[in-house]
Amino acid sequence: MHDLTQRTRPGANGTSGPNGTAARRRSPRELVPALAPLLGLVVLTVAFVVVGTVSGVNMSYSVQTLINQSVVIVIIATGAIFIFAMGSFDISLGASTLVAAMVGGLAYNATESLVAMLVACILTAVATSLVSASLAAVFNLPVFVTTVAMLSVLGAVAVALVQTTGGAQIKVDSSFARQYDTLPVKLSVAVAFLALCVFLFTYTRLGRVEKLIGGNPVTARLTGVSMKKTAIAAFAIAGLGVGLGAFLTVLRTPTMTTSSAADIGMNVLVAMVFGGMPISGGPRTRIYAALLGGLSMAVLNQTMTTLLATSSAGNGISQVVRALFFLAVVWVATSGHRSKLLPR
Amino acid sequence: MTSESVLTVTDMSKSFGVVRALKGVDFELRDGEVHGLIGENGSGKSTLTSIVAGQQRADAGTVHFLGRPWSPASVNEALDGGIGMIVQESGTVPGISVAENLFLGDAGRFVRLGLVDRAAMNREAGRALAAIGIDAIDPRTPAGALDFQTRKLVELARVMMHAPKVVVVDETTTALSQHGRETLYRLVDEQRARGSVIFISHDLEEILAVCDRLTVLRDGEMIRTFEKSEFDEDAIRAAMIGRNLDGHYYRADTTATAFPQVLLRATDVTVGDKVRGVDLVVRAGEIVGIGGLSHCGMHELGQALFGAVRLDAGNVVVNGKRIVNEQRAVRAAMGYVSKDRDTESLSLTASISDNIASAGLRLLGRGRGGLITRRAEERYVAGPMRQLAIKATNDRQVVGTLSGGNKQKVVFGKWIACGSEVLILDCPTRGVDIGVKQAMYRLMVQLKSEGKAIVMVSEEMTELMGMCDRLLIMKDGTVAREFQRGPELTEMEIIQCMI
Repeated sequence: MHDLTQRTRPGANGTSGPNGTAARRRSPRELVPALAPLLGLVVLTVAFVVVGTVSGVNMSYSVQTLINQSVVIVIIATGAIFIFAMGSFDISLGASTLVAAMVGGLAYNATESLVAMLVACILTAVATSLVSASLAAVFNLPVFVTTVAMLSVLGAVAVALVQTTGGAQIKVDSSFARQYDTLPVKLSVAVAFLALCVFLFTYTRLGRVEKLIGGNPVTARLTGVSMKKTAIAAFAIAGLGVGLGAFLTVLRTPTMTTSSAADIGMNVLVAMVFGGMPISGGPRTRIYAALLGGLSMAVLNQTMTTLLATSSAGNGISQVVRALFFLAVVWVATSGHRSKLLPR
Repeated sequence: MTSESVLTVTDMSKSFGVVRALKGVDFELRDGEVHGLIGENGSGKSTLTSIVAGQQRADAGTVHFLGRPWSPASVNEALDGGIGMIVQESGTVPGISVAENLFLGDAGRFVRLGLVDRAAMNREAGRALAAIGIDAIDPRTPAGALDFQTRKLVELARVMMHAPKVVVVDETTTALSQHGRETLYRLVDEQRARGSVIFISHDLEEILAVCDRLTVLRDGEMIRTFEKSEFDEDAIRAAMIGRNLDGHYYRADTTATAFPQVLLRATDVTVGDKVRGVDLVVRAGEIVGIGGLSHCGMHELGQALFGAVRLDAGNVVVNGKRIVNEQRAVRAAMGYVSKDRDTESLSLTASISDNIASAGLRLLGRGRGGLITRRAEERYVAGPMRQLAIKATNDRQVVGTLSGGNKQKVVFGKWIACGSEVLILDCPTRGVDIGVKQAMYRLMVQLKSEGKAIVMVSEEMTELMGMCDRLLIMKDGTVAREFQRGPELTEMEIIQCMI
């Protein structure tokens, strides 16, 4: 092979990386957008601590509320990143969570077993997720379309499940739920699931091919990637996240109606984008986006609640500030990618 | 500025992140001339012309067009002002019709009572296509349903229907068949009467034939402008790469050689009416070329061999495994380099490392329980990066920031790294400069010597003759004739067979 290595440009700092090409430090112009979601969370946390301290809020209680607010969203959103990384979109996450939580509740009522409840939540959510993925694979439809159909079906299933109790709600023994609705349980579930997701997404073929599909599905196919198998694996993991989220939802809210978990779907989406997740998926997908975004949302909510507790227009102002902060973080996070590619 | 100048660029600079694409470039275009712009991949040709054509803004420097400062805010503004550009890669929107592509951003002229008069738009589009001698394209066809060459002709029509003063042709001819090239050359020649052309090409022979003057760029700097009387291939090549190209451009030997082992056997391969009953055997250490006129079925045959299109009849067997889809092909140690590099072979927003590693993820996880570490990936990617001399800051550089030649090296690197034994290369040197071309050819010779089998689909006859052990000429979806490598083989003989 003709050696053309003399034409390789030296790096900015002149040092050589392990591949023979030059390693370099990232410039602030590149670094700031990459770190924008993290910086956003740091800024919000500082504001949260300052506002809380000045207002004389019980910080321990406040932190507990913050975790309660964010843990379900973080878990479901982290699992959903496996779907969104491929450039796919699941609109039925909230409905799946509700149905899985209801089935889990019914399972507990029938067996009085925590394990049975957990297994029922997970199996229901994974099965629901796989139905969407399988329908998309069999009929060669965009996943978004099948999840729209699932949204309707799951709404009907939730109504049917409630009707089995003869009332308007599914109720789990609240003293049992309170027993497990604790920070150690929540954090254990969250940490275990996040660790699994980080491992699968960062260190296995699955995460890599998902980003490849999101970046360019045609290239992925011509590189030998099975779109169907990958989609099914992604939906299975997302289903696991929904199942765990549903389990914690039952513990937190042991009385479930058809309108429970109504805002989970939208909050999951907002959390991912807030955390720096490109909605089109692809190579810039980061598995920790859900964690950063979910926490940022919860910290911002808590701070605004504390700040505007005495204002009658507090909720409205809080929503506006949340929207502005959201826009600012996403704008900075994406600024590095708008003018980077060479014209072709 | 001289009295003849229509366009002058002074001290232009432009950076993309850490990449300095242009460094104080001066350029002058005279009225009535076809001005060649030549340089290696990454030299700044496309960047310079894309600024002039309104695709983006320069960081520094000035442009004067027809004696006035020129700073178009968009491609449409530039086109309306008199400068149109046909881009190197696909410049059409796939989901809309040919007519809608032709009038992209200008559909308002067909609005009647608040609604777009599509019939009028289609009629006007038909006239625009006919005006440049293209009558085989239905304006209602979605652009995505057309092949790459036809989409380029649509782009050509879109620019020419505005009768611009300056036309920029950016490395377009390699996407075109002989007929398409003749259409382009005719239009370029006619453009002399009403304005000028900036003609970008890596084909030195073509640029010498077409252009009146040419400017050489290297690493974002203007090196020299050659008048027609000064045209000298060796001097131009030396200016382009800053050194003399040594050794043979193509293979030095003139005899066909191969190992006895058959790696690929295709029998009665049929894909609609594009490929009809093609039989093909490729042995280890053999380079088989597939050539022909556009629409002869050669590109579809390449895709069929890789399992990228469903066969209506026949089968393809590689290393004893029947190829029914791309996954089977990759598992059977096949690799495929598409003609449409940006759309089908690369993930432009991913890094070099992500792209090269993408075909070898199973290998990377083997023996480690599927675990893929950054260190293992770095080692995996380092080999092809070094071997192919990919010009990049490091392996985390985003592929979309690379020049065409370096992108193509990344595509090659992807298949070399995972140890592909059978490579289907569809126009592998399209849009790459002579330095990269030479490196590609030498790589192919090396792969041949290692016992790999290569099927090279190409529209460049000299390339096929220069590199292949056997050459199959396709016509109307079938193999019209097979030629064996040898000193007596002539281009004329092959062309006669093609037509």
